[in-house]
Amino acid sequence: MLESYFPVLVFILFAAAFGFIPIVAGWFIGPSKPDAEKLSPFECGFEPFEDARIKFDVRYYLLAILFILFDLEIAFLFPWATILKEIAANESIRLFGFFEMIVFLGILLLGYIYVWKRGALDWE
Amino acid sequence: MDFQAVVFYFLATVVVLASLRVITAKNPVHAALFLVLAFFSAGGIWMLLHAEFLAIALVMVYVGAVMVLFLFVVMMLDINLERIRQGFWSYLPIGALIGILMLAEMVVVLGSRYFGLEHVPQPAEFPAGYSNTKELGRLLYTDYVYPFELASIVLLVAMIAAVALTLRKRKSVKALDPAKQIAVKRDDRVRIVSMDAEKK
Repeated sequence: MLESYFPVLVFILFAAAFGFIPIVAGWFIGPSKPDAEKLSPFECGFEPFEDARIKFDVRYYLLAILFILFDLEIAFLFPWATILKEIAANESIRLFGFFEMIVFLGILLLGYIYVWKRGALDWE
Repeated sequence: MDFQAVVFYFLATVVVLASLRVITAKNPVHAALFLVLAFFSAGGIWMLLHAEFLAIALVMVYVGAVMVLFLFVVMMLDINLERIRQGFWSYLPIGALIGILMLAEMVVVLGSRYFGLEHVPQPAEFPAGYSNTKELGRLLYTDYVYPFELASIVLLVAMIAAVALTLRKRKSVKALDPAKQIAVKRDDRVRIVSMDAEKK
């Protein structure tokens, strides 16, 4: 099984090298003559008047947490999908194996309806 | 040392170094990004254990979703870096005490008495066509079906709690509701008043 992931490893190594080598090369080869004006933060011609770190709206947080929850829901679907053929082939657990996932999805559908009806997905 | 061992030691080194940087980095955003690196390398180690679904789920859920949330939270807190560093020495004794307590507890529980190498049998060779994802599915959807259904309840509770805690309707918003706009009748907008003609 691991052999099939070897190309992925090679890909990651190449991607990392592709990112690192230009930075390191620029560090060593490029001329470096810093002065106060070059090092100052540049904001379209005028003096920067506030910190770059600003408070994020809490609505981004709500969207991110809803994304995590539905992401997890999808993650549970993958192992189920791989054994779905086995479940279908086995007469005794066929209905059970199917409806346990329907119950799981149904409970989360309730949450989805709640989120939608409360207007948490509206951006205004 | 075969190739797998080389990859393992490389990933393990990255995990340890990245985790160290998580707790030593002064900028919380950098700490969060080093945590991403640690998760990513841990995913690689899981892949070496043939746990491909778990490895990809770790990258997908933790790197893709949880760390985005962490970064949002770190930015939302609007942390003043100088103010955080001020109390370091005054908080050091109690922090060190809690740290030593936790370390001692972990040594007691995870020590060789219960988790030593002699308690763990040598894992069997994986048979041909072995799929960790299928084994996981077989267990999760038969023996552990109640915890699985409970997980959906936990997710539901988290969903409702997040909405209840953070959803605020703001009153100053000038956005229009298209459904209301379409549903408007003529009588809502125009009023015809009959009145006598006026002389000049």
